Amino acid sequence: MKAKKWVGLFCLTVALLVGLVMAFNYVTDPFGAFGDPLFQWFSYDETNNPRVAKISYLDTHHEEYDSYILGCSSTSSFPTEAFNQLYDANFYNLIMYDADMLDCEKIARYLIDHYEVRYLILNVYIDNGITYDEESNNLTKNLHYQTDPDTSALSYYSRYLLANPQFGLAKLKALRQDTLLPQSFDVFDEATGVYDKRVRDAEPIGSLADYLEAYPVFTDYPQYGPYGLYQTENCMNSVAAIRDMCQAAGVELIVVAGPVYKDYFQSFDREAVVRFYEALAQVTPYWDFSCSSVSCEPRYFYDATHFRNNVGEMMAARIAGDNSRWIPEDFGVYVTADNARAHMEAALDAQPLQASEISAQVPILMYHHLTEGESGGETISTEAFEAQIHTLAENGYTAVSFDELQAYVYAGAALPEKPVVITFDDGYLSNYALAYPILQKYNMKATIFAIGVSVGKDTYKDTEYAMTPHFSYEQAAEMVDSGLISVQSHTYDMHQWPPFEDGGDALRENILPLPGEGEEDYVAALTADFTRSRQELEAATGETVDVLAYPGGMYSTLTQWVLETLGVRVTLSTNSGVNTVVRGLPQTLYAMKRLGMDDSVTSDGLLALLQQAYK
Amino acid sequence: MKEQVLNILTELCPGIDFEHETALIDDGLVDSLDIVSIVSEFMAAFDVELSVEDLQPENFNTVDAMVEMIQRAQG
Amino acid sequence: MAFTSWSFLVLAGLTVVLYYLAPRRFQWILLLAASMVFYLAGGFQALVWLLGVILVTWGCGLLLDRQNRRRKALPKDDKAGQAQIKRRKKQIAAAACLLCFGLLFAMKYWNFTVGLLPSGLGGHMPRWDFVMPLGLSFFIFQSVGYVIDVYRGKVEAQRNIAKYALFVSFFPQMVQGPIGRYDALAPQLTAERSLDWRNVQFGIQLALWGYFKKLVIADRAAVLVNAVVKENCPYGGIVVAFSILLYCIQLYCDFSGGIDITRGVARILGIEMAENFRRPIFATSLTDYWRRWHITLGQWMRDYLFYPLSLSKPFARLGKWARKHIGGLPGKIFATSLATFVVYFVIGVWHGASLKYIVFGFWNGAVITASLLMERRFQVWKAALHIQDKSLGWRIFMMARTSLLVFLGRYLTRAPRLLTALRLLKTTFTDVRLGQLADGTLLSLGLTGGDLVVIFLGMAAVLAVEFYQERGGHVREALEQKNALVQWLAMVLIVAAVLFLGVFRTGYISSEFIYKQF
Repeated sequence: MKAKKWVGLFCLTVALLVGLVMAFNYVTDPFGAFGDPLFQWFSYDETNNPRVAKISYLDTHHEEYDSYILGCSSTSSFPTEAFNQLYDANFYNLIMYDADMLDCEKIARYLIDHYEVRYLILNVYIDNGITYDEESNNLTKNLHYQTDPDTSALSYYSRYLLANPQFGLAKLKALRQDTLLPQSFDVFDEATGVYDKRVRDAEPIGSLADYLEAYPVFTDYPQYGPYGLYQTENCMNSVAAIRDMCQAAGVELIVVAGPVYKDYFQSFDREAVVRFYEALAQVTPYWDFSCSSVSCEPRYFYDATHFRNNVGEMMAARIAGDNSRWIPEDFGVYVTADNARAHMEAALDAQPLQASEISAQVPILMYHHLTEGESGGETISTEAFEAQIHTLAENGYTAVSFDELQAYVYAGAALPEKPVVITFDDGYLSNYALAYPILQKYNMKATIFAIGVSVGKDTYKDTEYAMTPHFSYEQAAEMVDSGLISVQSHTYDMHQWPPFEDGGDALRENILPLPGEGEEDYVAALTADFTRSRQELEAATGETVDVLAYPGGMYSTLTQWVLETLGVRVTLSTNSGVNTVVRGLPQTLYAMKRLGMDDSVTSDGLLALLQQAYK
Repeated sequence: MKEQVLNILTELCPGIDFEHETALIDDGLVDSLDIVSIVSEFMAAFDVELSVEDLQPENFNTVDAMVEMIQRAQG
Repeated sequence: MAFTSWSFLVLAGLTVVLYYLAPRRFQWILLLAASMVFYLAGGFQALVWLLGVILVTWGCGLLLDRQNRRRKALPKDDKAGQAQIKRRKKQIAAAACLLCFGLLFAMKYWNFTVGLLPSGLGGHMPRWDFVMPLGLSFFIFQSVGYVIDVYRGKVEAQRNIAKYALFVSFFPQMVQGPIGRYDALAPQLTAERSLDWRNVQFGIQLALWGYFKKLVIADRAAVLVNAVVKENCPYGGIVVAFSILLYCIQLYCDFSGGIDITRGVARILGIEMAENFRRPIFATSLTDYWRRWHITLGQWMRDYLFYPLSLSKPFARLGKWARKHIGGLPGKIFATSLATFVVYFVIGVWHGASLKYIVFGFWNGAVITASLLMERRFQVWKAALHIQDKSLGWRIFMMARTSLLVFLGRYLTRAPRLLTALRLLKTTFTDVRLGQLADGTLLSLGLTGGDLVVIFLGMAAVLAVEFYQERGGHVREALEQKNALVQWLAMVLIVAAVLFLGVFRTGYISSEFIYKQF
């Protein structure tokens, strides 16, 4: 080969290889830098770089929104749904991890210049006083060139076209592992822009001790520091710039300081913290949630720098003046330059909410079938049952309904001093014939979980084998009408009994997916099953069905999430124990623990079981 | 004089056929250390002054060249 | 502007294209312009120092040249006149050396020297806070070499300051040499050239090979080395030794790779730069090693330090004394050996301002001087053991011995400071912990098993090529003879390796680490 030919071939080869890399990066677009032309998988792209991918996403979706929420990662729990209702707007949450106020300023300018913007909610977080104008990685933490006057299109495109192809390969790999629920590679919710916290939000919560054991991070503070808040002035200059551009464009700006876990403040000099918020108030009045009794309670946080979505909903309710929802007194204050210092001095001394103020210990008793004949196993004799109910009444226990528990958690309603919940699984006729009269006698509320397919039946549906008789819808309606009994769901037909049912491999013994069942199919099946169960029950009793006892006590995160979306607010497992129910935390009503009851539980035994709740 | 030069060379760098080699430096048989040893020895033995400028390969490639260099230095 | 940056590739590419498009007599001006752009990328201040050194040495060159011509014009027998001119020349050359090495000392060694002084005294000395300009010691050595060459009458001074500036600042050599000689390099830089595709081909191939060594091998090995060699290193001796072995690989591939890139780029421009490495792995003694490793530095030291030092009056007197009092062969080579020791000591200190480099210099100087003094004894032993100098076994033994000596010295150059180096050496021999080779420790140091395989396969390829060269082979010429498909496959292989195993080795972060909060 002649040298000239060699050189030509070399140039061609290099161009070809580099071209291949560029084409691959363009097509896979793991950062959403080119609008993700092939996959449109923005929840993945935003995980790699929210600053870039969200702007790309808005490029084609901005017409769906007219208002925006801006800020660093703690902004994620500003719930768009609640703010949509509050302002009658369509919010998109532009949270970007590690965003500093310069990022916010540049993006705000871009939004106002290019899109229709009615409201802009800006979250000012204490970390914004630490860093300003930092770009620690030019692939994952830089801005989209359209929003950043300091980045040229050339450097932007060459950077992403020539990025390491491993990013694209990782995306292809993730594509095969993608599930309905978020994983570490797709933590964003495309439609709202928030961190997709479905997994953490489906997680049952109980006592503080259990929570701290599961998330030891809360006890680690202060970890580092003290951090200096040296960027306070720069940060506030950017806030002022955002304020001015909003004013000029007729955009309503709502500045909010979201909740910070209280121990995190120990990483800073106290006076510097006060000055930070004071400086903010001098620029603009704002809603302060930064430090309050909420900040003292770990269970209101995912981790020390991220408060829960439920807390975000409380914020929206406070701003809206909505009193139907439970909110701690000291949570949320409208701060102006006049009251800033006094408020912050007091806020930083916020005291934790007393356990008795926000939480209640709630034991739940679990019964199944009653008999006047031979008892054993889960089947309890009528005498033993009555003795147990007698013990409850005699010792000052008040049976409560799940409605009352929900009212406690959501609206902060009171609970009686010694609450207890009585439940029956499966919906046996004996519940109606034997238990109901006794409950009436002692005026004790109870909840029965009926399996839809066996209501009113005494044979298995496919095989006509005899089974323990179940009460009918009429009987259910009669009990509900008494005001004492609630009949809720134990699924329609996801509690099958293999020896007596047809269905081969597709038998659903419990609510979990069948082996090898795809996620989409499973979700459809579960949705159809529960919807039918609810429809038939509601049609018969007229009572809202929003409680479900998991057949066999089995459940998964996916199950819990699907049921939540279907409107189920309480689920019950068969794990043994007493529940800690917490105001403002619906997760304390998930997969609740129950105490299994049978003949062997004596009066003293029952009291001992219940006593552990009040230690 | 050639005799004396040869004696010095053989003592300092044994095992090299100085009489017949014509490219001692160019072939790498004699390195800088040897050259300096040789030159110092020449200066001591013949009482001449040699300088760095004399350390050119062509002055050391053959025994005759070395002899010539010494004679030049003797003036 | 690192060789591995896109901006360097763009600068080099543009320079090449414009160089061959430009009218011949402007070609050298283009090189000068490119060099200034390259250097300016390192900051304006650095350029000021560079221009300062250029101005001083160019000026001294001119002054020396005038004295040289005056001397020629003088009648031979005017001893007084000759002596006066000689004195004058010495003064000029000394002034140039003083200024240049003074700058080097101030930049590189001042703070270190002050730090060595007792705090009562050192505390009152001012510190030197300038950032050291890129390649300072390289261009100072190169320009001082020029001044001395003019002083010795070896070359004529360059009258055109721009052409001289190009010699000092030619951009491919600015990072790490090679230290060029004026007579060999300068005429090539200013020559007028037409495009020769073979130069382009060979230059690209050489540079590619350099990138392969640097990006695929050296940068990879560095990860493990950096993870192990540090204060309070928690690993056993075997892991430490392994990391120093990788460091030897890293250092060689990094340095020789960089030089290959330099020489490759120059070759594309038709300029042949000095060799800086000649397969040091095949060295049979530490002296031989230093003739094969960083050759241009060794030659510089030989011509401008070793020769004048060993032929200086004090050394001549010392030689006389040794001949009388020590006698025999040792007496005859005593002064030379001392000069040798000084040279290696200086080479050690040249590497940097730190106690460890002083010890490094001692180490090399001591081993080489000792072997020099013992050489005759060895000859006797060898004869007694019937060892053939040329036998393969003996050669391999010598290579292994040399490698071990180099390996031990590398503890000093790599460790952050002297004490750490000594501690690591101690660990290597007293706390081996062989088990760490197999218990997964090696894979917890930032490199995957695949990375280690790449390093060792890459190194095997380097060694195979060097073995072929050591036997007299010429890789590019041989490749040229192969058929087009083989040539193309070789090209694709190395470009792909550089791109996918080198360029794209870094910069990837798994999304789990991008968002760590969950």
